[in-house]
Amino acid sequence: MTDLLRLLFNSLETGSVYALAALGIVLIFRTSRTTNFAQGMIGTFNAYIAAYLMLQYGFRIWLVALVALFTAFLTGIIIDTLIIRPAAKVSPISKQIITLGIIMVIIGILPWLFGVDTMTLPRFIPVRYSFLIYGADLRYNTIFVIVLSTILMAAMFWFIQYTKWGLATRVTASDETTSKLMGVPTKTVTMVSWATAAMLGTLAALFVAPRVSVYSNMLLTVQISAFFAGTLGGFSTFFGPVVGAFIISFARNFTQFYISDIWGNVIVYTSILVFLYFKPYGIFGKKPTKKV
Amino acid sequence: MDILNKIERFFANISKQLSERPVLTFFLFGLVIASIGFLPHTGLIRWGTMGIFAYIIIFSVVAMGLNLLLGFSGLISLGTAGFVGAGALGLGVFMNMGIPFEIAAVLVLIISGLLGALIGLFSLKVEGIYLAIATLFVGEILRQIYTQVEIFGGQAIRIGSVRFLGFIELSMINQMQRSFLFLIITGFMVVMMVVMHNIVKSKTGRALMAMSRSQHAAQAMGISLLKYRLTAFVLATLFATFGGVMYGLYNQNVPTTAWTLDLSLFVIAMVIVGGLKSIYGTFLGVFIIYGIPNLWLKNYFGDISYIFSGILIILVIIFYPHGFVYIWYDLKKQYNRLKAYLSQKQVTQDE
Repeated sequence: MTDLLRLLFNSLETGSVYALAALGIVLIFRTSRTTNFAQGMIGTFNAYIAAYLMLQYGFRIWLVALVALFTAFLTGIIIDTLIIRPAAKVSPISKQIITLGIIMVIIGILPWLFGVDTMTLPRFIPVRYSFLIYGADLRYNTIFVIVLSTILMAAMFWFIQYTKWGLATRVTASDETTSKLMGVPTKTVTMVSWATAAMLGTLAALFVAPRVSVYSNMLLTVQISAFFAGTLGGFSTFFGPVVGAFIISFARNFTQFYISDIWGNVIVYTSILVFLYFKPYGIFGKKPTKKV
Repeated sequence: MDILNKIERFFANISKQLSERPVLTFFLFGLVIASIGFLPHTGLIRWGTMGIFAYIIIFSVVAMGLNLLLGFSGLISLGTAGFVGAGALGLGVFMNMGIPFEIAAVLVLIISGLLGALIGLFSLKVEGIYLAIATLFVGEILRQIYTQVEIFGGQAIRIGSVRFLGFIELSMINQMQRSFLFLIITGFMVVMMVVMHNIVKSKTGRALMAMSRSQHAAQAMGISLLKYRLTAFVLATLFATFGGVMYGLYNQNVPTTAWTLDLSLFVIAMVIVGGLKSIYGTFLGVFIIYGIPNLWLKNYFGDISYIFSGILIILVIIFYPHGFVYIWYDLKKQYNRLKAYLSQKQVTQDE
C-alpha cells in the first residue's frame, strides 16, 4: 500500500510536468506546423534566470518564478518574431532544424550569461511540510504541483474552447491560410502560442529543478517524454497529449518499480510502439483527410 | 575579358569531363580528402585537425543515408544516432568476442538492417510526425540498452587495434597507422558515395523520388510502397550503421552515452543545411555543421561558439531553404552579372 501510494503521487507529479511540456509542444505544432525541439531548452533558459536571480539577490522562489514566467513570455515572443516568422515559407522539416539552431544558441548563451557553476532551485513549499498517508510521505509541494498544473490546463482548455481568442487558435491550428483570409490575426495567435508554450516549458522546468539541479540538459527526459505523450495521445487534439503524459508517467513508474529497473523504459516504449502500429494517430487522433 | 573567357572555357571543359564520369569525380574527391591524412606528418596541420576530418567523413556517410530517406523518400528518422551507436558498439562487442573485424561488421550490418526493415514495415501504417517520434522511440530504446545493459561495458567499449583484412594490424596510437586508418575510412566514404550515386540513378532512386512527390500518384503508377519504403529505411539504417562501423574502426574506443537525440538532430541538420538530394551537398552540410565549429569557432570562442553555429544553422535555412549547395547557382548568377558589367564597360571604352 505504501509503495503503491508513493508511486501514485510520484506518477501524478511527473505526469503533470510531462503534460505541461506536452501541451506546449502540441500548441506550437498546431499553430506553427513544426515540432519544437527547443521547448525544453527555452524552459531551461528561464529556469537559469530564476536560479541566477535567487543566487545573486536572494529573492524568494515565488518571486523569481514570476520573473522567469515573464521572461519566458518575452523569450517566446522574441523567438517567434525574429526566427520563426521570417522562416514561414520554410518546409516543416527545415523548421524543426531551426529549432535545433535555437537549442544551440541557448546552449552557447547559458555559460556566457550565468557561468558554469551548477545552480539549484528550491521547492515552492519546503519538504518539511508533509504528511503521511498509510506510511507514504505526501509533500504539500507535490499537491501544489499537481493542483496548479491541473488548474492551469483546465483554464487553457476552457480558454481554447470557449473564448474568441481560443477560437482563433483553433482555426489557425486547423488551416492557417484560410483563417488568415477570414481575418483571423494568425501572426498574433502564433506569437501568443510561442509565448504560452515557453511559459509552460518554464513552469515544467521550475517543477523539475528541485529534483535535479539546474543544468543545460535538465529537461531532456521531460521533453522526450512530452513528445511520446503527444504521439500516444494524438497531436490533433489539445487534451490527447495531456492524457498521454499521465499514461506514460504511470506506466514508466510502475514498470520500473514492479518489473525491472533497467528494462522498464524499454518495455513501455515497445508497448507504445506496438499500440501505435494499430492506432497510428494516437488514442484520440483522427486520420487527416488528404486530397490527391 | 579574354582571360576571363579562357578561364571560363577551361573550367567548363573540366566540369563537363567530370560530370560525364561521376565515379572518377568521387575518386578524385576522395584523393583530395585522403591527402589530409598525410599532412600531419609534414607538420602543416595538427593531428586533432585530422581527427575532425575523420569525423566529417564518418558523418558524411551517416548523413548520406539519411539523405536517401529524407531527400528521396520524404521520410524522417530521429533514430539515426541509435543506429550509428549500433554500428560502433556492436562492432566493439563482436570484436571483443574474438570475431575478426570484417565478419563483425557484416554481422552488425545484418542486425541493424533487420531493425531498419522493421521500422520500414511500421512506416506503412504511421505517418508524418507520428513516424518521426516512432523512430525516436526506437532511438531511445537503443540508447537505454546501450547505457544499461552489461555487455556494452558501462562507459565505453575498447576495441583496441584492428586487424584489417586479416593481416594488417592497425592501431589508433601509432601515428603512421592512424594515417592509414584515415585513408581506409576515406576509401569507405568514396565507395558509399558511388553506391548512393548508383542507387539514386537506378530504378529504385526514381521510385523513391516519385514516392516523395506524391505517395498516391506513385502508387497509382504501380510503385510498391511496401517495397520501396522498406528499401529506404533499410538503406538509411545500413548507411548509419556503416558510419558507426567506421567510427569504431577509426576511434577504437566507443562511448556508450553519446548516441542521443541531439546527434540524430545534428545529422538531420547536416542533410538539410547541405542540400537534399545532393551527395556533395551532404558533405558540405557536414562540413558546415560539424567542421566549421570544431575547426575554427571553438578555437576562438570556446563554449560560446555554439551561439555562432546555432545562428549559422538558422541563417542558412532561412536564406537557402533547399540547402547551402544552391549557393553555387547564386555565385554563377553573380559571376554572369559581373561579366555582363565588364563587357559593357569595355564596349563603352571602345567607343
